Amino acid sequence: MTEIKNKAFLFDDTRCIDCRACMVACSVENKIDMNKTRIWVAGIGLKGLFPNLTRASMVYHCMHCNAPDCLSACPVGAYIKREDGPVLYDKKKCIGCRYCMNACPFGVPHFDYDKGLIEGAFIDKCTFCPQRIDIGLEPACVATCPTGALVFGERADLIKEAHARIQTHPDRYVNQVYGEFENGGTTYLILSHVPFTELGLPDVGSRPIKDVSEQVMGLTIPVALGWGAVLTGTAVAVHLVNQKKGAATKKAEEEVPEEAVK
Amino acid sequence: MPNTISRRDFLKLGGAALGALTASQFIPPAVAKAAHTNGMLDATNSGYIPSMCEMCVWRCGLLAKVEDGRVVKLEGNPEHPHSNGKLCPRGQSGLMNTYDPDRVLTPLIRVGKRGEGLFRIASWEEALDLVAKNMLDIKQKFGAEAMIFSSTHNLSQVQFENLLNAFGSPNYGTQRSLCFNAMIVANLMTYGMEEPDRKYDTLKYIILTGRNLMEAISTSETSALSKAIDRGAKVVTLDPRFTKTAAKSAEWLPIRPGTDLAFHLAMLNIIIKERLYNAVFVSNNTNGFEKLSSAIGAYTPDWAAVITGIPSDIIQRIAREFAEAAPYALAHNGWRTSNFVNSFQTERAIAILNALVGNWGTALFPAAGEESGVLGAPPQPPYPRVSAERLDGVPSKYPFVPLKIGVFQELREAVLSGQPYQAHGWFIARQNPAMSLPDRGRTLQAFGKMDFIATIDIIMNDTSWYSDVVLPEASYLERYDPLLPVGDKAYIRQPVIEAQGEGKSALWIYKELGTRLGLGDYFQYTDEEDYLNQQLAPLGVSLEQVRKQGYAELPGETAEFPELDWNTPSGKIEIFSTTLDRGGFPGVPQWEEPPAPKDGEFYLLTGKVAQFTQFGTQNNQLLHKYADEPRLWMNAQTAKSLGLSSDDDVEVASSAGKIHIKLLATQAIRPDCVYLTPGYGHLSKGLTTAYGWGASDSDLHITYTDPVSGGQALSQTFVTVKKL
Repeated sequence: MTEIKNKAFLFDDTRCIDCRACMVACSVENKIDMNKTRIWVAGIGLKGLFPNLTRASMVYHCMHCNAPDCLSACPVGAYIKREDGPVLYDKKKCIGCRYCMNACPFGVPHFDYDKGLIEGAFIDKCTFCPQRIDIGLEPACVATCPTGALVFGERADLIKEAHARIQTHPDRYVNQVYGEFENGGTTYLILSHVPFTELGLPDVGSRPIKDVSEQVMGLTIPVALGWGAVLTGTAVAVHLVNQKKGAATKKAEEEVPEEAVK
Repeated sequence: MPNTISRRDFLKLGGAALGALTASQFIPPAVAKAAHTNGMLDATNSGYIPSMCEMCVWRCGLLAKVEDGRVVKLEGNPEHPHSNGKLCPRGQSGLMNTYDPDRVLTPLIRVGKRGEGLFRIASWEEALDLVAKNMLDIKQKFGAEAMIFSSTHNLSQVQFENLLNAFGSPNYGTQRSLCFNAMIVANLMTYGMEEPDRKYDTLKYIILTGRNLMEAISTSETSALSKAIDRGAKVVTLDPRFTKTAAKSAEWLPIRPGTDLAFHLAMLNIIIKERLYNAVFVSNNTNGFEKLSSAIGAYTPDWAAVITGIPSDIIQRIAREFAEAAPYALAHNGWRTSNFVNSFQTERAIAILNALVGNWGTALFPAAGEESGVLGAPPQPPYPRVSAERLDGVPSKYPFVPLKIGVFQELREAVLSGQPYQAHGWFIARQNPAMSLPDRGRTLQAFGKMDFIATIDIIMNDTSWYSDVVLPEASYLERYDPLLPVGDKAYIRQPVIEAQGEGKSALWIYKELGTRLGLGDYFQYTDEEDYLNQQLAPLGVSLEQVRKQGYAELPGETAEFPELDWNTPSGKIEIFSTTLDRGGFPGVPQWEEPPAPKDGEFYLLTGKVAQFTQFGTQNNQLLHKYADEPRLWMNAQTAKSLGLSSDDDVEVASSAGKIHIKLLATQAIRPDCVYLTPGYGHLSKGLTTAYGWGASDSDLHITYTDPVSGGQALSQTFVTVKKL
C-alpha cells in the first residue's frame, strides 16, 4: 500500500443501504459502550407520498475538518489535528467545558453524560481509527462496508473520484462534493442524490467558522480561568441535570421526514 | 445530537446481565489460551485466524483478530468469494454471539414444567446418557420413526443426517419449506438443479421479485448488485413495500401481493407474441415452447394490469426492455419464495422467462454446489432400511419435494393429528421451531405431545426453553465444522478461541450420542481434527496448512463455464414438464388466483432487516443496539383513516392468534398491507436481551401448504388491526 499523505473518506449516499455494519464495526473496534455510538444516521428517511418515494441515508461521523473548530474552541488544547488528516482528542486534558460541542458546525463531539468528573473522558467522537490507519489498514467502518458506500484514500484522489462519479451519472447526484470546500474543507467527503440539507448536513460556507471564532476565543482562557472556581462548583450539579437530559435525546427515525411532507 | 442510543432504554428492557453490561464497555471475558496456534498467533496469543461466519447461511470467510486469547474483532476475509473482505452487520457482531452473557455453557436437564424455564446443571455424561436412554426407549416402544430429527442448514448437518439415518428414522425436518421450497422445486422441474448461480458483472437489467438484497444481505451478492447499479444496470423491484432495495432501484412497482405470477405470465406473453425470445437458445436447450405459446395468449398485459395493479403499458415496456437487454438480463428467482398458493407457478414462470431470452451463461450458471466428491469422508456401514412412511407426507403426498428438504409444517401437523402414527420424541439441533413454524400455538401443542425433547444450541432458544435436555454447543468461533467446498476450494471453520464453559462441537456431540445409541460404527473419527484429516486425505494437503491458509485447493473444478447439462427427464430445460403433467399439475405455468383479504383485513407481510437472521440473532447485544424497534408498518393514509398514528399500541389478529405491538404509519407500504419484522416476540426468558421485545409473526401465521412444492404460504395470512 502506498503511503496516504492526506487521508480522507468518501461517502456516497447512492450506495449506502443503511445496513449499519459500519456502526457495529466501529463499536467493536473502538470498544464503545453498549449504550453509545460514534457513528449515527441523521436526516435520513423517506420523502414523498406512496408510491412516489425516495429514501436517503447518511453515515454521520466526525468530518475531520482541515481547520477544526473544535480544536480552536478548546481552552486546554485537548484537540490536535494530525498532518495526515485525523482530528484527535486527548481525554486526559479535557475539562468537560463542552465548548467544542458548541463550536462544531456538524454537532459531532458528544458529551458523556454517564460519567462523572472523577472518571473523566467527557467528550467522545470518531478518531479515524489511528490504531488501524497507522499500520496500513482502512478505518473499521470503511473496511467492512459491503456496498462500497464508504471508501478511504488520498483526499485529492477521492475528490477526483467523486467528481468523476458525478460526471458519469449527472442524473444521480447533486453536482457538489460536500466537504471539498465546506468549512474550509473536510476529510469526510460526501456525495448525495438529495440536497445535502436533507441528509442533515448544515449549510456552512467555505470559510471555516474557526476564523471567526478565533477572534472571540482569544479571550476564552483568561475568562475561563477566572471563572474556574465557579465552574468547578457548578459542574457536579450540571452533570446530574445533564444525565437526565441525555436520556431524552432522540435518534432520527422513519416517520420524522414523513411528517414533514404531510 | 444523538449521543446515546436512547430510543430504547436498555436497563428497563434487559435483565440483570444486560444491565451489568451497559454499565461498562464491552470487554470479552478471558478464555483459555487459543487452541493450537499454528504460527497464526504470536507469543501473546494475538493475531488473525481465518475461519467462516455463521451469522446466516451465506458463510462468508472471516479473519478473527485475537488478542491474548480473546476475539476482539472480525474482519471479512479478502480471499473468500462470499465476503471479498467485507462483513455485514451480523458478521461484524458475530463475536457477541460467542460472548453473549446468556450463553448456555453446561448441559441442562429440565426440573420444572415444560416452559417454566427451570433446569439443573448436568454433566455431559449424565445428559448424553439421558438423551440416549429416552431415544432408545422410544425406538423400542414405538419404532425408530417415532423419533423426529430436525436441524437447520449448517455445516455439520451431514453428521446430523448421518445420526438420523443410522438411527433409522425417516422423519427429518429442515426449515426450507418455510423459506424457498417453491423456488427449489420449480428450478428442479425446469432446469434439473436446485438453484443456479448468478453473476452480475455484465448485467444490464435486473428484475427482483422477492429478493430484498439490500436488507436480506448475502454479502457478495449484495455487493455485486450494488456494483451493477453503480455501473448503470437498471433494477426493477416488485415489492408491496418500499424496501431499501426498492429505494436503490430505478423502478419500484408496488405490486399487489400474490400476483407476481400474473406479472411474469404477461412478460412471457409479450416476449412470445412479439418474438423477442432467443430462438436459437430456445430450440437448442428447451422443450415444450409450443405448448407455452398456445397457453400464454390469455395472459395479456391488460389482464395482468387488473390483477397486479401495475399499468399495462409499464408491463409491456419492462418486457421489451428485459428482452432487449438479454442475455445480460436477470429475472431473479427470489429467496424466501413460498408466499402464496401460486408461488410455485411464479417460480416456474421466472425460470422459463430467463430461459426464453437466453440468460444462461451470462446471468445464470450451473450451480457449483456445496458438495464435492473430491473430499474424503469417514467410512461407515450401510444405513438400516426404513420402511415407515414420513410424517410430513414426502413423497406420498408431496412427490416432487426432495427428501432432504421436506415439508416441516406438515410434520408438526402429523404430530398433532397422530396420523399416520404418533411421534413421541424430538431431537433438534440449531433450530427453533417455536419461532419458525407458522401458528406458534400449534407448535407448542405439538411439543406437549412429546415424551421427550432434546435440543442443541449455544443459547437458551425458545425451543430449548420447552426441552427436557439442552446440550450446549460451542459457538462458531470455538469449534470445527466439516470443510465446505465452494467452487475450486474447500474452506475451513476452525476454533479461533477455546470453547467457553463446556460447549462442544456438533461433530463431537453426534459422535458421543451415536456411540451411546449403539451406532458408533457410523462415527469413525476420533475427534474433529481427525474428521477433517479424513476429508483432506485425498488432497494430500495437511490440516495445519489449511488452518493457516483458510482453505484447501480442490483439483479440477475450475471450468469458467461448464457444459450446460440439464438434469431433467428430457435432458432439456422443461418449459413443459411431463413430470408435473403426469402428477396432475399444469405442465406449463398457469394463473391461479390466490386468496385475498376481506374488507377490513390486511395482507400480513414479513421480510428481513439487515440486522437479523430469522429469529437467531435478536439476542446479540450489538445487533440489538443498532436495530430499529420492531413496529407494525401500516400505510400512513390507511392509518389516518382508522384513527391510528405511529407508536399507538395496536392489536393485530388473524384466525391463528393475536399480538400487541406499536404501529409505524409510513408511506412505504401499500394501503392493503401491513408488515411485521419477523423473529421477535421470544418466549424464552433465557434470552435477556431479546425477551419482551416486539411480537412474533408466528403467532399470526396460518398454516397453508402449497400442494406442489410443499412450501408454507407465508404471506397468505390476513389480519385485522385495532387500537388498544
